[in-house]
Amino acid sequence: MLNDIIIRLRSLFRRNAVENELHDELRFHFDQQVEKYVRSGLAREEATRRARLEFGGLDQVKEECRDARGVQFLETLIQDIRYGFRMLRKSPGFTTVAVLTLALGIGANTAIFSMVNALVLRRLPVYAPDQIASLLRHDKASGSDGMFSYPDFEDIRNQAGSAFADLATVQPFQMDGFRMGTQSDPLPMWANYVTTNFFQVMRITPALGTFFQPSAGQSAGQAQLASADPVIVLGYSFWKNHLGGDPNIVGKGVSVNGHPVTVLGVAPKGFCGLFSVIDTQGYLPMGMAAVTADSKPDFIADRHFASMVIVGRLSNGISLGQAAPLLNVIARRLSDQHPDNKWDRLQAFPIGPLGPATDWSGQETFDAMAAFFLVLVGLILVLAWVNVANLLLVRATAREREMAVRSAMGANRSRIVRQVLTESLLLALFGCAAGLFLGAALSRSIGWVNLSSALPLNFDFSFDWRVFAYGLGAALLTGLLAGMTPAFRAARGNMNDLLRDSPRTSTSRRQPARSILVVAQLSGSLMLLIVAGLFVRSLRAVEHADLGFDPNHVVNLSVAPTEAGYNEPQARQFLQALLQRVRALPGVESASLAATVPMGYYSNGYDGLQIVGYEPAPGQDLPHAGFNAVSPDYFHTMRIALVRGRVFLDSDNQTSKPVALINEEMAKRYWPHGDALNGHFALPTDRSHPIEVVGVVKNVRAQGLSGPIGPYFYRPFAQAYQVPVTLQLRTSLPAPTAIHDAANVIRSLAPAMPVFDIQTMTQALNTLNGLLIFRLGAVLTASLGALGLVLALVGVYGVVSYAAGQRTHEIGIRMALGAQPRQALKTILGQGFVVTCAGIMIGALLAGAVGHLARDFLSGVSPMDPLTYLGASALLAAVALIACYIPARRAMRVDPMVALRHE
Amino acid sequence: MPDTRIDLPQGTLDLLILRTLALGPLHGWAISERIHQVSSKVLQVQQGSLYPALHRLERRGWIKAHWGASENNRRAKYYELTKTGRKQLEAEESEWKKLTSAVAQILETA
Repeated sequence: MLNDIIIRLRSLFRRNAVENELHDELRFHFDQQVEKYVRSGLAREEATRRARLEFGGLDQVKEECRDARGVQFLETLIQDIRYGFRMLRKSPGFTTVAVLTLALGIGANTAIFSMVNALVLRRLPVYAPDQIASLLRHDKASGSDGMFSYPDFEDIRNQAGSAFADLATVQPFQMDGFRMGTQSDPLPMWANYVTTNFFQVMRITPALGTFFQPSAGQSAGQAQLASADPVIVLGYSFWKNHLGGDPNIVGKGVSVNGHPVTVLGVAPKGFCGLFSVIDTQGYLPMGMAAVTADSKPDFIADRHFASMVIVGRLSNGISLGQAAPLLNVIARRLSDQHPDNKWDRLQAFPIGPLGPATDWSGQETFDAMAAFFLVLVGLILVLAWVNVANLLLVRATAREREMAVRSAMGANRSRIVRQVLTESLLLALFGCAAGLFLGAALSRSIGWVNLSSALPLNFDFSFDWRVFAYGLGAALLTGLLAGMTPAFRAARGNMNDLLRDSPRTSTSRRQPARSILVVAQLSGSLMLLIVAGLFVRSLRAVEHADLGFDPNHVVNLSVAPTEAGYNEPQARQFLQALLQRVRALPGVESASLAATVPMGYYSNGYDGLQIVGYEPAPGQDLPHAGFNAVSPDYFHTMRIALVRGRVFLDSDNQTSKPVALINEEMAKRYWPHGDALNGHFALPTDRSHPIEVVGVVKNVRAQGLSGPIGPYFYRPFAQAYQVPVTLQLRTSLPAPTAIHDAANVIRSLAPAMPVFDIQTMTQALNTLNGLLIFRLGAVLTASLGALGLVLALVGVYGVVSYAAGQRTHEIGIRMALGAQPRQALKTILGQGFVVTCAGIMIGALLAGAVGHLARDFLSGVSPMDPLTYLGASALLAAVALIACYIPARRAMRVDPMVALRHE
Repeated sequence: MPDTRIDLPQGTLDLLILRTLALGPLHGWAISERIHQVSSKVLQVQQGSLYPALHRLERRGWIKAHWGASENNRRAKYYELTKTGRKQLEAEESEWKKLTSAVAQILETA
């Protein structure tokens, strides 16, 4: 094989040397033969003559030798490519339209695929990422999923040695305040607390300095928690962007939430932590969480403090499936040992870009969405393909005579097929190159979407080899498919007929293939329009949905006292003072605190609630509910209506009995007899202090704008202290003024206090959990719909105007015989009408199928919404008829004399 | 020169070339001469089929070529068997023997 390639390549690139050798070799043979005859007694002339006779055509022998060396194939290819270039250059109009069409198709595809790649496919940038897995558990006693406590981690790590090389645990989701040198305001820093073996498990090397070393003189377990000194490893882009890439950063003293720490090293470029879509800016040893963060001092020993993610590296040669039985055994053993753990499932998952799985279904919805958009954008590629195939067919018809001449001159069929395919593949490659540029620009603009959050979100939609391979593959496939029909038609053509006929008569045959392509195009385009319509209507529906609260005239400012170095009593005092001061500001109607904001990226909830008087049916999970900690005026600020009982009072404080307000759904579900008021429930983390329900409020959309609203409860902020916390003001002043005033108050009370997520409540709704996801869906589908419409328009216009052009002669004769121009118009429009109707019918059926797939992403609109179907059909019909009318009118205006003179 | 040309069956020429080269490196003309003589002047390989065959065998890696000096001190292209070529020769020889004996059997009995 290698020999073969070397000989071919040598024959190709050292053509002169090879040709000379061939000549010398044959010449030598010839001379030997002549010598032989001379020796046998012939005169030299006679000997030469005989040898020449025997030898036959020298060039023919050479040609056959070249063939035998396999040069021919490559030489033909080069010839085809040269010829293809020349043909494309000769018709710049055709080339431009075809390349642009393909570029649009490839561009849209690579842009969408780059998102899918970044959000679904990409793996962690660590050594052998396929070996990295995260664990997820299900507790059948509480019905809770997800994270682990530190004692859980130690138990699992001690028992998982036969399947895992090592396991580490990470406490994610922590916003810390980072300060360096004389800097006055702390930088918000998204940090993870990790066991010291975390980087060893990842097997990455620091960009600068070192990673954590388990310190000597400590037990194995303790060694995973802290190094001897308080240290930090910085994330690469944090170091680059916020610290100017300081090359001498290692060993410098900085502070985290007011506590001094030493910089140990910088994580490698491209590594953003376990959650690739959120840039982890700092890594601290797990043991420091008790000091610098808000964790309880004894969280390391607390089996209820389940806030950690476990990641592991599988041993060499062990797959996820092979690790499963061991994990099952561990889950059973731990359930037996610890009565609080009733794990019925413990499973390992690969880690995608969204990070370790935190519930059992998260990734599936995402995969479904990715698949849905890939199908839609794939349809765009099909439309582009149909357009190019159509253009090529038209050209193939025009070039039938050229092909006939070539085959009359001795070109064989495979040669002609190859020539035509080479041309269409060249087009595809140009389209691919232009499309990749377009796609890169598009995906960059998607990456800049404002996510309404201070989180260091990291949407890196940049192109990697996967995107390039996808784009190139799509382009080549399109080129090949588009070139297939014209290529075989060209090869099949009967050269006698073609050469005898005049070009005009030879091309006026009917071509049903082209009408079928147009119908396909119209139906595909209609389907895209209908899907776009559904998404736009769904966005309208959620924008006007009843949220249960009034986001207008409310502004939010989040503060993080811990990051400023405040402890809990100091922070409580500060917040109390803050509320008093902002209430006195002009225009402020009401001011309150809330631990979380509706549709925000943080939310709270409890699985495994104990409700007095409620027994879950056998096999059913324990009650669960979302939760928020709010100050008394919250319900006034947000205008959440009280249904029964009372709202919180200032007297609901740390020393009084614990109380809660619940939403109507929670009351209905867990107190089915209507006796929720004065009922009691207990949190899974504190069973000994039951909480009394003092009121019921209206249902509120806290997370997600679609689907049913789940059980939810509120506790007084004083009884459920939680930071960071958001200050919310209902104000009659314009938002910028109100925000400015409030920020001034915060600065005067606490100059070093970090303030973030400063926005109106309406803006705050625009998150991926809220409106933004619907907006993105509507924008994406609408863009695809518009693109599809343009492609269909180009397709219909091209085909109809070509058909009209072909019939100019016929129309000329008819008009000369007395036909009215209107009749000519009718003929052409009639054909367009039939095709459009067929397209609309098939497209509506297709949309019915695809809309069904999309029903999970839609809200407040049926996937069969008749208004959308009618509107989209009408739009498409109008556009299609315009595309028919323009060429038809041109045909109608034909001067019979001109048409006939063409003869 | 008596005209005793016999059309060689497809693939036979390759076998003959390989067999001839099994004795040692030869240039193209010598190959055709050797075949001519060994076959008692029955087989005459034409240049038109000899050289394409040599180039084809070279591409397949069964023979390799190098330039050397001929008997009369001219530059000539010598071909020799490669390891795979030798294996191929053995395989083709036994194939050929099987074929001829089978054909002979049919001719004698049928």
